[in-house]
Amino acid sequence: MEGSKTHSSESMPGDLSEALKEATKEVHEQAESTEFMKNFQRGQVSLQEFKMVLTSLYYIYSALEEEIERNKDHPAYIPVYFPAELHRKTALQEDLEYFYGPLWREEISCPESTQKYVNRLHYVGQHEPELLVAHAYTRYLGDLSGGQVLKKIAQKALHLPNTGEGLEFFTFEGVSNATKFKQLYRSRMNSIEMDPATKKRVLEEAKRAFLLNIQVFDELQKLVSQCHENGHPAQHKPELRTRGTSGAHEHGPAPVKEGEKTLMKHTGMLPSTPLVRWILVVSFLVTTVAVGLFAM
Amino acid sequence: MGDSAMDSTLPPPESAVPEGTLFSMTDVFLFSLIVGLLSYWFLFRKKKEEIPEFTKIQPTTSSVRESSFVEKMKKTGRNIVVFYGSQTGTAEEFANRLSKDAHRYGMRGMSADPEEYDLSDLSRLSEIDNSLAVFCMATYGEGDPTDNAQDFYDWLQETDTDLTGLKFAVFGLGNKTYEHFNAMGKYVDKRLEQLGAQRMFELGMGDDDGNLEEDFITWREQFWPAVCEHFGVEATGEESSIRQYELVVHTDINMNKVYTGEMGRLKSYESQKPPFDAKNPFLAPVTLNRKLNQGGERHLMHLELDISGSKIRYESGDHVAVYPANDTSLVNQIGEILGADLDVIMSLNNLDEESNKKHPFPCPTTYRTALTYYLDITNPPRTNVLYELAQYATDPNEQEHLRKMASSAAEGKTLYLSWVLEARRNILAILQDVPSLRPPIDHLCELLPRLQARYYSIASSSKVHPHAIHICAVVVEYETKTGRLNKGVATTWLKNKVPNENGHKLTVPMYVRKSQFRLPFKPSTPVIMIGPGTGIAPFVGFVQERAWLKQQGKDVGETVLYYGCRHENEDYLYREELAQFHKEGALTQLNVAFSRDQAQKVYVQHLLKKNKEGVWKLIHEGNAHIYVCGDARSMARDVQNTFYEIVAEFGSMTQPQAVDYVKKLMTKGRYSLDVWS
Repeated sequence: MEGSKTHSSESMPGDLSEALKEATKEVHEQAESTEFMKNFQRGQVSLQEFKMVLTSLYYIYSALEEEIERNKDHPAYIPVYFPAELHRKTALQEDLEYFYGPLWREEISCPESTQKYVNRLHYVGQHEPELLVAHAYTRYLGDLSGGQVLKKIAQKALHLPNTGEGLEFFTFEGVSNATKFKQLYRSRMNSIEMDPATKKRVLEEAKRAFLLNIQVFDELQKLVSQCHENGHPAQHKPELRTRGTSGAHEHGPAPVKEGEKTLMKHTGMLPSTPLVRWILVVSFLVTTVAVGLFAM
Repeated sequence: MGDSAMDSTLPPPESAVPEGTLFSMTDVFLFSLIVGLLSYWFLFRKKKEEIPEFTKIQPTTSSVRESSFVEKMKKTGRNIVVFYGSQTGTAEEFANRLSKDAHRYGMRGMSADPEEYDLSDLSRLSEIDNSLAVFCMATYGEGDPTDNAQDFYDWLQETDTDLTGLKFAVFGLGNKTYEHFNAMGKYVDKRLEQLGAQRMFELGMGDDDGNLEEDFITWREQFWPAVCEHFGVEATGEESSIRQYELVVHTDINMNKVYTGEMGRLKSYESQKPPFDAKNPFLAPVTLNRKLNQGGERHLMHLELDISGSKIRYESGDHVAVYPANDTSLVNQIGEILGADLDVIMSLNNLDEESNKKHPFPCPTTYRTALTYYLDITNPPRTNVLYELAQYATDPNEQEHLRKMASSAAEGKTLYLSWVLEARRNILAILQDVPSLRPPIDHLCELLPRLQARYYSIASSSKVHPHAIHICAVVVEYETKTGRLNKGVATTWLKNKVPNENGHKLTVPMYVRKSQFRLPFKPSTPVIMIGPGTGIAPFVGFVQERAWLKQQGKDVGETVLYYGCRHENEDYLYREELAQFHKEGALTQLNVAFSRDQAQKVYVQHLLKKNKEGVWKLIHEGNAHIYVCGDARSMARDVQNTFYEIVAEFGSMTQPQAVDYVKKLMTKGRYSLDVWS
């Protein structure tokens, strides 16, 4: 952190926003370096993986926003209460419906690490609401920053229409300028009345939030690798210039129909050049005929 | 079956069949044939399209790959190669589009991933006649190359190859909100030149925070003419430029299907339905429109829009967007000079059926409606418009003149700068001054950009005026070098929205765009507001709100205003209102600078300097929030510099430390800007 130090005798910066940034610097880097995120950033994400991410995020945000609503009048949360600008649950529902169809609620389930995260959110919201801001900070500010880059990556990799379907999660309709909004959000965080002890706990909770996120992605990575091993259809190298052709919107414009792929296995046993093929057939027929004649 | 008696069910014996055999010769033949055919079917049938297995690690997909792009280009007869440094695929897409463009100009291009080739081959590109290397380079993270351009970047840094003879151009993809804006594009452009290569066209810098696509198109439209000129080639065959849309005239159409100025849904101005936004604006009645200044030549105005019943909510500091209409006389003159019937009902349909954009503006509609509500006819046209129009100039000198201004030759650019930009020539002026230029009106409508909504900082507080939105604006009007009077579209239009007593309400299509310009959360936090001229607009709302909070019994902190205008007796906006707030104590400090009332100029920053100790105290001890609104170019910058000075002096810091302190205030949301240029 460059810049002038405050004259405070505290070991951490006076402003909550600065303290949070410093305290979570390491875990933030860790989160960006998970296998899953690294692959995503390279554009290597399949439709299946993306759906899994959205599913987990749905559970997480549903929990987070439920607890936010519960605490919207709590003095430790009011200053950062921005439902219109930030809340993601509705957007995620729209995206899930786009990818899974109208019966999406029945199709999805909550992975273990995600459940852990959800449990923690409910616990904090119900028993230690002064720490809720740590979770809001971790998710929302991240989404407003890197989220925009991830949106483009996902759009290209999955051939999603540029009209936004399937990417509502990444689209903050209520925020006209992400940078300025983050500045506003920080000023609001800094206006929460907080004694040093609570501040310390908030910083710890933020670190915990990052770690929970990391665990979610690590689990997704494991699930994805398992799928590969079982020979499930994975993905093909994203063709960045092909146009989406599928009209079946509830399933998304999957570049490859999943069923077909399991059938197609290149046997490599038989020659495939046409000429050889024909020669073989003709010889076979001739042989059969000859045998027949001979048998007479 | 031993019976040799003829039976109609048995196949007739064709040849001597030995007694006792089960199957005849024919049977055997047929059987073998069937078996043979079936075997063929099962073993050799054409497989469905093979789908390669995905591999995570980026492979070199083919072992027999030409790693020399020069060889590949020679083999495939190409002279232009477009490399892309792309992470999300945008740069790659641009590269593909550029390489396809080449064909239009009688050349052949290919796009290439720098990771797949040996870039040191660039020194050999000149072996190909009329060759050119183009680079679409995206900047990633903290000014870094994209993954696929890392090797190229490393090579550029380490090499000392002589690239004399290599011709190049670079288009960079970046984002202005990042500190290292377009670092990669800039680096490649600079480095190639250092290595001896010849720059063919200026570096393009696309800004994803603005409109990357538009930046690219603008650059591209000037790039190709430059290339053609350099290589001495003409655009192939299609001398008439490529039209994007096809004109369809409607002779017998239901008037209910015709757009009359709506932004989105047909008839949305007749049957208004919330929620209201950019695609569905609310027609807000104007309840008040008064002149704010007492003298001077300018016209400053205060308007009040009624938003009752619209369910529109706003916060002080938000922006109101209005959709203006062009001046009718201007529209008529365009129609006249082109000899067009403006009331023809038509549609312009996109020839590219796959495009999302079916029409350039809502269709079907009339030319009159398009020119009035949908098209920008007052800004000086961009060079690509001139380029496309040039073909219609029948006088060869005039055509040459237009073509030159559209070219990227230094002489052309200078000409465009002076003849179009500095002279502020709009499309009508150009048509008037280039008499042989008479394009068909539909092509013109295809070329002109869309009329944009205009944004104004809301000058009221929703706590005090929940059903109204106030606007403070100055009418733009000036004489150009050509002796014409240019008027601002929205401000002129707003000026004429004067409500009268007899019934008919004048309305303004509007919506609210949320901003992040907000009073501090705690009323006790001091605020320092700096807003000269019409920059005072949001602060009128802020002060109204602070006054309201005070009335509510809240503990309200220092409310400090720095305002500036030209003459105390001419354009001191909201003088009475501010005096009243000051008297009541809602406004604790009122500092006004009158720039032209004395010999030397006095501006807001001078007043700030006079109060530097107090200002520092508020910032450093009072946790004050600073707000600057108004002119971006000089005022905002001068004010910021003043703060650096104050911080350096009273905070005992060096200049860089002071700059850092102020930048941190911005990051923490304690120094907000609402500025325009």
